[in-house]
Amino acid sequence: MGNLSRRSVLRGTVCLAAGGELARPYIANAAATTAVVWWVQGFAQEEDVAFSKVVADYEKASGNKIDYSIVPFAPHRQKVISALTSGDVPDLFPANPAEIVALYAWQGKLVDVSDVVATQQAQFSDTALLSAQCYNSVTKRRSYYGVPFTGAVLPVHIWKSLVEKAGYKIDQIPKAWDAFWDFFKEVQTKLRDQHVRNVYGLGLQITTNGVDPNNTFHYFLIAYGGKDIVTKNGQLHLDDAQVHAAVLKALTYPTTAYKQGFVPASAINWNDADDNNAFHAKTIVMDIDGTISTEVAIIKEKQDYDDIVTMGLPLSNEGRPVPSQLTVVNALIPQGAKNVVVAKDFLKYFIQPQVNNEWLKVGLGRNIPIMPATVRNDPWWAADPHRKAYSEQGVLGETVPAYWAFNPAYAQVQNEHVWSTAWIDMINGGMTAEAAARKAAKRINDIFAQYPIEQS
Amino acid sequence: MASASVIELHAPGMRRHTTVWHILQGSLRGSEYNWALAFLIPYTGVFLAFVVYPVVYGMWLGSNPALYGDLFSDPIYQDTLVNTVLFIGVAVNLKMFCALLMSGFFMRRGWWVKALLMVYVLPWAVPALPTFISIHWMLNGEWGLVNNIIYALFGADGPSWLNSRWLALGSAIYSHIWKWMPFWTVILLAGRMAIPQDLYDAAKVDGASGWRQFVHINFPLLANLYLICTLLSTIFTLGDFNSVYFVTGGGPANTTHVLATLGIRDAFDMAQPRLGVAAVMSALPLMIPLVIILMRKLKTAEVQL
Repeated sequence: MGNLSRRSVLRGTVCLAAGGELARPYIANAAATTAVVWWVQGFAQEEDVAFSKVVADYEKASGNKIDYSIVPFAPHRQKVISALTSGDVPDLFPANPAEIVALYAWQGKLVDVSDVVATQQAQFSDTALLSAQCYNSVTKRRSYYGVPFTGAVLPVHIWKSLVEKAGYKIDQIPKAWDAFWDFFKEVQTKLRDQHVRNVYGLGLQITTNGVDPNNTFHYFLIAYGGKDIVTKNGQLHLDDAQVHAAVLKALTYPTTAYKQGFVPASAINWNDADDNNAFHAKTIVMDIDGTISTEVAIIKEKQDYDDIVTMGLPLSNEGRPVPSQLTVVNALIPQGAKNVVVAKDFLKYFIQPQVNNEWLKVGLGRNIPIMPATVRNDPWWAADPHRKAYSEQGVLGETVPAYWAFNPAYAQVQNEHVWSTAWIDMINGGMTAEAAARKAAKRINDIFAQYPIEQS
Repeated sequence: MASASVIELHAPGMRRHTTVWHILQGSLRGSEYNWALAFLIPYTGVFLAFVVYPVVYGMWLGSNPALYGDLFSDPIYQDTLVNTVLFIGVAVNLKMFCALLMSGFFMRRGWWVKALLMVYVLPWAVPALPTFISIHWMLNGEWGLVNNIIYALFGADGPSWLNSRWLALGSAIYSHIWKWMPFWTVILLAGRMAIPQDLYDAAKVDGASGWRQFVHINFPLLANLYLICTLLSTIFTLGDFNSVYFVTGGGPANTTHVLATLGIRDAFDMAQPRLGVAAVMSALPLMIPLVIILMRKLKTAEVQL
């Protein structure tokens, strides 16, 4: 090895710079056909493998390159928010959490993807389309700022063996809303009479962590007639008498059940995984929780897997079907993306019904399609009792979008856990439902004042 | 001679001007100066990119005074300040005092003491996240290990550890102490081992009891180390996210957040990164004096150990 001299260092530096300069056109050409994608790690490893296959197939068909990285859920969220704050963004990423499509569309930080959505517009469910059509406060109009590719609702998960141990059969579960939940209180009482320790009838997530408590509140709200708390034009209707009555009931039922001891005491500080753990430990007879990951997590334990009954929502107290609030996950292209063309081209490929369906199936149906024809045409979705119930509820059944799609203010309402804080105010603070609702309404009105929608 | 040739360039009798360039050049000449630059530039680049830029960017993100208005009017932030003071005050002092006592215990001779020390440092050695998540599960009121043991031993249900603010905060403080006490014990143990044995022998000849040996030998000789460790631990604890986030999750109802967890909640759960940075920046009035005191202590000329 020769001696390192100042001249040799300078010579090497000049050569490197010259080489880089000569290679620039080739690097630029490669970049023109490359899109950078930050994808979220799947629940099962197979989901990541399936996404890699989608990418490989697309690259083969298009000649473009997808430079993707698969990031775990929580770090992905942090990475995306940091990127959009700093402006150093990828070309494509899934909305994580789902509501950021509305928040960043409002701020004018997303690329309009109407042309991508148009390629499958006839296939998408109405709820999926509504969930992607967000308001931009810069252009003062709504447009498609996300491309829907999957969704999730909250099915009910029930331990059949615990219901039967209490002396009931699954088909004895009442169909009306309040009677349905009351049934599990009776199950708990019967089990406790048999000295089954620490078993609770209801797995209601009365916590201020994660997405589950928001979803739980809205399911109760909608069942009690409060569906129009926010309407498609982005307007808030907390003063509406029907909505107000529904709010009071949605605050009262879960908190009363908790105070009566039918919900585990620890539920007020559960995180997203705690209800699953409680259910798997058979501490709760039933759980209302998003996706069928509760079942899929124990798919290899056949006896337990078969012991769980998955079902959709009961009817309302008036006997009408209760629509499930569908959380749609959109793929987003941020403003400042270097290769919008390839990102859009990849999305057009990814949302083709067959491609999208094959990708969802690898995840064992944990996430559901947002194209009803997919479920109707593929018998795989009905081949498993859990999957069948779940897809019937979330794809073929009546659904409504999350309220943040109508007004991004509601994303902040959810992130602040305004409604579940009202639950805690009633449980720990001794507030009445009316007082807790008034406090929540004040905060929600303040938040909505920051998001005026002039035209819809 | 280089210095002579430089002087010769100037007119006779003319005084040489000291410029910034001369100051930067120091006593380096010719190629020495170029080599020094070649080594300094990468370091400076890395320092600017990974230390200066993030700090300045963070300060810029949190520079809007309106953010602090929002923050101070938030009741969760007010609770968080109280929690942070309690968390640091109780956790750091209890941990350091117990570590001081334990370091005395581990000075004892015997193979079983060494074996026990190996077991004792395990909490510090194992990864933080799985252990704190395990503690969260162990403290679950219905199916957690702790309450199951209480039930097995006494036939009574234990409390819901994570349901009340003070029990949950206490659990987070306990978890922090459990995790970090072994580390500081080892540091203080090393400090004790550096004290010459002659001092103890002389004290024994003079008839000094164990307590008097502690007061007149250990305490003065370890005081500086103990203070520096306490200051360092205070700074580390101020940034401790894991003990709170994974044990209590900031709950119930956001009543057990500390500044480190509130910053993350505001930045990422609320998707308001500027507010999150402001929450963390609000710790600076406490952090800066601590760092200044620490620097002064490290410079002290009377370091005993």
